[in-house]
Amino acid sequence: MATKAYTLPTDIPTETVTNIRSLLRIVSLALISAAAISSRLFAVVNFESIIHEFDPWFNYRATRLLAAKGFYAFWNWFDPTAWYPLGRVVGGTIYPGLMATSGVIYNVLHALNLPVDIRNICVLLAPGFSALTAWSTYMFTKELKDESAGLLAAAFIGIVPGYISRSVAGSYDNEAIAIFLLMFTFFCWIKALKLGSAFFGTLAALFYFYMVAAWGGYAFITNMIPLHALTLILMGRFSSRLYVAYSSWYAIGTLASMQVPFVGFQPVRTSEHMAALGVFGLLQIIAFSELVRSHVSSKQFQTLLYASVIGMGVLGFSGIVGLTYKGWIAPWTGRFYSLWDTGYAKKYIPIIASVSEHQPTAWPSFFMDLHILIFLFPAGVVMCFSKLRDEHIFVILYSVVASYFAGVMVRLMLTLTPVVCVSAAVALSSLLDTYIDPTEPVLEEGESAESEATPQDPTKKVKKTTPPSNSGSFGEYLARFTGNTDKPRGIFGVSNRLIVLFNTFGMLVFFVIHCTWVTSNAYSSPSVVLASTGADGNAHIIDDFREAYYWLRQNTPEDTVVMSWWDYGYQIAGMANRTTLVDNNTWNNTHIATVGKAMSSPEEVAYPILRKHDVDYVLIIFGGLIGYSGDDINKFLWMVRIAQGVWPDEIQEPNYFTKTGEYRVDDRASETMKNSLMYKMSYYRFNELFGGQQAVDRVRGQQMPKEGPVLDYIEEAFTSENWIVRIYQVRKEDLLGRDLKVANAFEQGRKRKKTKPPVRRRALA
Amino acid sequence: MLLLPLLTLLALPFCQALISKDQAREELTKLAAANNGVVNVDEHTFELLTLPDREWSSTIVFTAMDPRRKCGPCKGFQPAYDSVAKAWTKVAQEHRNQHFFGYANFEDAMTVFQKVGIQSAPLVYLYPATEGPYKAPSGRTTPLVYDFSGGFDAEPLAQYLSRHTPVPIPYKPPVDWMKYATIGATLLIAVTALRVISPLLKSRWVWAIGTVLTILTMTGGFMFVRIREMPYTGNDGQWIAAGYQNQFGQETQVVGLLYGLLSASFLMLTMVAPYQTSPRRQQWQVWLWSAVICIIFSVLVSLFRVKNRGYPFKLLI
Repeated sequence: MATKAYTLPTDIPTETVTNIRSLLRIVSLALISAAAISSRLFAVVNFESIIHEFDPWFNYRATRLLAAKGFYAFWNWFDPTAWYPLGRVVGGTIYPGLMATSGVIYNVLHALNLPVDIRNICVLLAPGFSALTAWSTYMFTKELKDESAGLLAAAFIGIVPGYISRSVAGSYDNEAIAIFLLMFTFFCWIKALKLGSAFFGTLAALFYFYMVAAWGGYAFITNMIPLHALTLILMGRFSSRLYVAYSSWYAIGTLASMQVPFVGFQPVRTSEHMAALGVFGLLQIIAFSELVRSHVSSKQFQTLLYASVIGMGVLGFSGIVGLTYKGWIAPWTGRFYSLWDTGYAKKYIPIIASVSEHQPTAWPSFFMDLHILIFLFPAGVVMCFSKLRDEHIFVILYSVVASYFAGVMVRLMLTLTPVVCVSAAVALSSLLDTYIDPTEPVLEEGESAESEATPQDPTKKVKKTTPPSNSGSFGEYLARFTGNTDKPRGIFGVSNRLIVLFNTFGMLVFFVIHCTWVTSNAYSSPSVVLASTGADGNAHIIDDFREAYYWLRQNTPEDTVVMSWWDYGYQIAGMANRTTLVDNNTWNNTHIATVGKAMSSPEEVAYPILRKHDVDYVLIIFGGLIGYSGDDINKFLWMVRIAQGVWPDEIQEPNYFTKTGEYRVDDRASETMKNSLMYKMSYYRFNELFGGQQAVDRVRGQQMPKEGPVLDYIEEAFTSENWIVRIYQVRKEDLLGRDLKVANAFEQGRKRKKTKPPVRRRALA
Repeated sequence: MLLLPLLTLLALPFCQALISKDQAREELTKLAAANNGVVNVDEHTFELLTLPDREWSSTIVFTAMDPRRKCGPCKGFQPAYDSVAKAWTKVAQEHRNQHFFGYANFEDAMTVFQKVGIQSAPLVYLYPATEGPYKAPSGRTTPLVYDFSGGFDAEPLAQYLSRHTPVPIPYKPPVDWMKYATIGATLLIAVTALRVISPLLKSRWVWAIGTVLTILTMTGGFMFVRIREMPYTGNDGQWIAAGYQNQFGQETQVVGLLYGLLSASFLMLTMVAPYQTSPRRQQWQVWLWSAVICIIFSVLVSLFRVKNRGYPFKLLI
């Protein structure tokens, strides 16, 4: 009878213990869900119930249409106000999962006579789904270790900033539901693999379909599961369980995913999906050969069989390569390819490279988003290696792949976060298991030959494939190395336990404080409404965006065309309800480059472009007055670069720098820069604000020239309170047919200079 | 009577221009042929290359190859430029004479640098033809500046110039035999050594070490350093880059090491300490690793405070 470090009551029947345990689990999960939801409400409490950022405005607009007019109207929606004059077929160019989810919730609530506004459903969808994510992470981790690790993982993912950053209230984006779907699909896959169950395989396929309908990141699942299956085959762990799980997932999942119009025939036509198809074929070949082998005993026949199996594999592979070469299968391109060849996007698709969330991740972001989990994560991975069941291999692969992707792109931190939570939970709960267990080890000199019959997990086949010396756990290895025993004994005394538990508890408390701070300070800003703190500590709300959008809504005709850089397209459509030239759905590079060219050209070159596109107003963002750094002058070089990609002879990036290669807006700015439409619109009448004193741009920290720019072809229509949004009206052609510059000069009483070149271009009527 | 001399006098500049144009082309052709297709630029040849009524276009690289100037990109770019110029010598005679490559080194052509107003190097200027059949369709006569955002390689340069030359530059990147040889040798060695290293490949701990190292490098921001081509340390010996979304190469190593130490301490507590037979030694281990966790974590947090000035929390230090 082993001694105990501390005594536990022994007179409780096991039934009661089991019941209390399950009750505690339910209560904990409920509390975790509550914490997950409530910590995402900072945004609503600090600001208001409003849709955030840029993309969510489009999703919100689409959802409103779905709620008002029904699913078919949404499905067939052609939006003539986007990408003017092209328009956009919305139904075929979006992932409808998010809108459909909100629409279903809306209709269910209304059927129950709960008249909830569609906006509130959209705002609160992400926090709601975060509770579901916590639950699915619990289920997933439970398969890896046990319930206690599952609860820890659920708590971690509930409040970790890496996930909160994309799922605060109001952040109505595809990621809001996608992480739940990701984790639940993975859970179903693990379960299917463990049980060899076609039911769970089908369930995985159905959730995979939901994921495909919801987020472009579904390709991650499409490649993770085949990678897992392939690794298992290579490790000699092929089994009928794997065959059943994979085949049911692939067959149903692929057919289902092709029902989404935006995806269509991509699963059989693009390289991103070929891995899944290839592994599916490989599994059939292997299963067939296994079947034949079990019926035939002749050794020669087996050799022949192996040769033919390998031949078939090679044939299949070269078939895929040949089809790619012939152009039947699209080669690796676009966003996915830029993850491997990191220089690709900057060279060929500057629009992708220009997005701030596509930048690589520096280490402070990892620490900020994951805190203590980031170093518990490798420890958890090592523990997965020491068990190495099939599902542990999945976690290991996932962790390597996701940490690479998260390093390449900031936004993919989101896919890394779940696996970090899971494996950190495994590490921490192993630690707690060891140090909470009250059993004291027995002190004995002579090691008695204790029974070697440690319970073997039935799925643990590694013993067969690896030499016995390698099958031990990490601890045994080290123990042999340091001359200790090779069987775990436990912890002596209460003090050892207390110090570790106290330490762990302290770190968890710090983690919670950190998460709360990060969530409330960094991730809860809607970016539509800005907040600043005055000298006296009072919060000051800057509401320029909405002020300007509502001005457009109230003061312009409904068919007004507004030109702006693409970042603001969705917001203008959503809040001002006006037609835009380009928006955040960056599918047409040339159209965006046209806007970039207009912005970066001199007025007289830009004017015909504006008139040809029926532009009535031009909207720009200017932060020079209050120091808002995300303004258009700071984005300007991307406009130049994108325009240069299409018109390399007319727009050239080096011309926008000073001779010494600096990006300046003051006296020393290059002539091209000073003459560009964007520069002129940004600093028009900026000097007057300073009453004769030297004007200072607070973002760039540079002193502006005494003489401000002059505008001839457009005129100022509106400038918001803090000058963040400035709107210019494009003037119509002069009634006397003069060039607008000449007409302006005439009105101001200036004589026309003979030396100046005459009218260069007349605008197209 | 007087009209004729007057007319000849008037026509004289035209004749001169005509002659000098042809002469210039001849001279440039000779110079280019003598030097692998590259004309060395001095005051005189610069005049020739950029003659106001030129019927040819010319590319001139402004560079500073003198070691004293310490221009790394210049040295890196020059072979690429030379190989593109050399590729141009392979096109047919009638096209070859329509485009010339010039090489202006700062030491040899200071006056040219001053005249054009060049303040940084390397720069590639392309002077389009002002007359004749190869005149730029846009009518542009001022030089175009090549944008180095595509890198200092020969291929993007050749692609860019080909848009302005009469025929595309037949540039082909040289076959990198070294690379193929290395790949082949590695494969060969791997295959022959398979028998020796197969126990290693089958050992899960080899894989575990590889996995953990990969994770630590990635979460230490290695890809950021690689994609942004960040230096190992700053110019003034600083190893911490200023700013939250920024880092140097050395930070990856330090942060990876800190993460690794913390991870290892947790593993020691979980997987090694319970195996101890002696209570004293176990206690010693538990205290040691707990202390390591406290201290290293404090260091990590204070390092993070350096990067993110607004972070309000700190531990021991």
